[in-house]
Amino acid sequence: MKLKLFTVFLIITFLTNCQNSKKAENSEGKIVIGVSMLGMQSEYIVNLADEMQKKADELGVELIIVDAEKSSLKQIEQIESFIAQKVDAIIMNPCEVEASSPAVKKALAAQIPIINVNSETTVMPTAFVGSNDVESARIAMQFIAEKLGGKGNIVMVNGLMGQAAQLQREQGANDILKEYPNLKIIATQTAEWDRAKSMDLVQNWIQTYGTKINAVFAQNDEMAMGATKALQEAGLKDKVIVIGIDAIADALQAVKKGELDATVFQDSKKQGAGAIETAIKIVKKQPFEKNLLVPFQLVTQKNINDFIK
Amino acid sequence: MQLIKQIRQYGIFIAFIIICLLLSFLSSQFLSLSNWTIIITQVSINSLLAFGVTFVIITGGIDLSLGSLVALTGVMAALSAHPDDYPVIVPILIGLTAGLTLGAFNGFLITKSKIAPFIVTLGTMTIARGLALIISKGRPISNLSDSFNFIGGGEIFGIPLPIIILVVVFIICSILLKKTILGRYIYAVGGNEQAARASGININKVKIAAYTICGFLAGLAGLLLTSRVTTGQPNAGAGFELDAIAAAVIGGTSTNGGIGTISGTLIGALLIGVINNGLDLLNVSSYYQQVVMGTIIIGAVVLDSWNQRNNS
Repeated sequence: MKLKLFTVFLIITFLTNCQNSKKAENSEGKIVIGVSMLGMQSEYIVNLADEMQKKADELGVELIIVDAEKSSLKQIEQIESFIAQKVDAIIMNPCEVEASSPAVKKALAAQIPIINVNSETTVMPTAFVGSNDVESARIAMQFIAEKLGGKGNIVMVNGLMGQAAQLQREQGANDILKEYPNLKIIATQTAEWDRAKSMDLVQNWIQTYGTKINAVFAQNDEMAMGATKALQEAGLKDKVIVIGIDAIADALQAVKKGELDATVFQDSKKQGAGAIETAIKIVKKQPFEKNLLVPFQLVTQKNINDFIK
Repeated sequence: MQLIKQIRQYGIFIAFIIICLLLSFLSSQFLSLSNWTIIITQVSINSLLAFGVTFVIITGGIDLSLGSLVALTGVMAALSAHPDDYPVIVPILIGLTAGLTLGAFNGFLITKSKIAPFIVTLGTMTIARGLALIISKGRPISNLSDSFNFIGGGEIFGIPLPIIILVVVFIICSILLKKTILGRYIYAVGGNEQAARASGININKVKIAAYTICGFLAGLAGLLLTSRVTTGQPNAGAGFELDAIAAAVIGGTSTNGGIGTISGTLIGALLIGVINNGLDLLNVSSYYQQVVMGTIIIGAVVLDSWNQRNNS
């Protein structure tokens, strides 16, 4: 057993060294950028990382991508190790608004430019590339308001409570609701971004409210897909409008088939490429956009073909 | 002893009835047939996992890898469940075999290494999650065939298939635990390992069997979940192991081993399902739902330790 553990340790050491030496070779001429991602368990974040890699390959930049696994503590440690490795720039996809802020401070103190991508921290980084989540929910709720003619009952499926995306998407929804006094949220509950949980929740709501529900606003597509499934099983899908956010592949297919009414497209390509380009500009001391906002787009059956690859 | 055991069994049952009555007063929809169909469908996945973990807990062990196994087996099945890929039996067999193998692997590691089950399954929990992400490349696997989606979404004679599966598995597990030699050995090993060894029982084999059953049921749960949400998700099932353990413990399974029943666990799972459903019907914030659930778990454990003190 001890021998096994030792072997595992050796392999790990070997792998870590490999990465380090690879980096050392490249640091001679190439620009090296350290990237810490929020969590490679979610599809959008994986897409974002892929887009960054694509852009980096295209421009001949070396990327070191690490996964913070949704832990801001881990993220801070990763940024510290980037600083120790003396990378040319850091791109961080923050885990939390507050808790990831120390990472930004440390990078700035070490005079390494740091770019936040996709979401924000309270401490201002060198630059920010992303989208305003409040906007995405405004677009979604506006869609519902127009479809229902400004009158009706909505149920809202929340993401993981307290996360920046959840708070901002809730705020965006409420902004629009203020303009439509006859639109009412009759129930709201979290399904933690999860499809199965959202399906259970909406099934339970159908029991209570039945045909009173006119629209479902799910704060991401996974949950919108779950809601759609529950409504389909209850034979109510034709009478209820469902919209999600993120435009994941499944949701786009569902919009195309007419099962999901709409989703809101967050542009991983523009965010990822934008982050890399901004980082390179900063390293080369060229002028750059300090706040690069990538707009959201509403996806319905009308424009679905622009989004399906 | 027998009497106290029965009282506790009934204690949970009585608590369950009281909560149902309470909810039926508070919400007119609660007792409807359609609502109960939904409740039982919703608890089917947790029940399967809870049955499996009941076997393991009775032997004095624990399995924390369940949630990750659900994700891994689900993703593996989904990979071969696209329309026109293979007949539906292939993904089913892959999912079940994967669960069974991983469960046996858990049992093997635990008995051979003599490391605490808590630690071993914590390790396999992380490994299985990693494998699920590797196999799926971190993305959900969708576009599954209709026949595969029938497992979790279909109906036979108007009864949702998950309910039928739940009933069948419930009967098999009950018989396995109550009426077979293996079942008796499982109780013996958890009740007093030394005595069981002295009486010639192969402890390791019994434990490996318990973890294998648990893994197999996790594979079945993975199939159900995947076909229910019509996509194989690498990050599905997070925290499922805790819900399953909670159901077993609420149902009277002792974490010290040697005590527990499948019917008790079913009541435990139903209780959790009923409370989630009821609080959703009443539109109670999920913050409160968590507090209520935690209180019930602690209450059940207190009842359990109180019973054991009375016994000794």
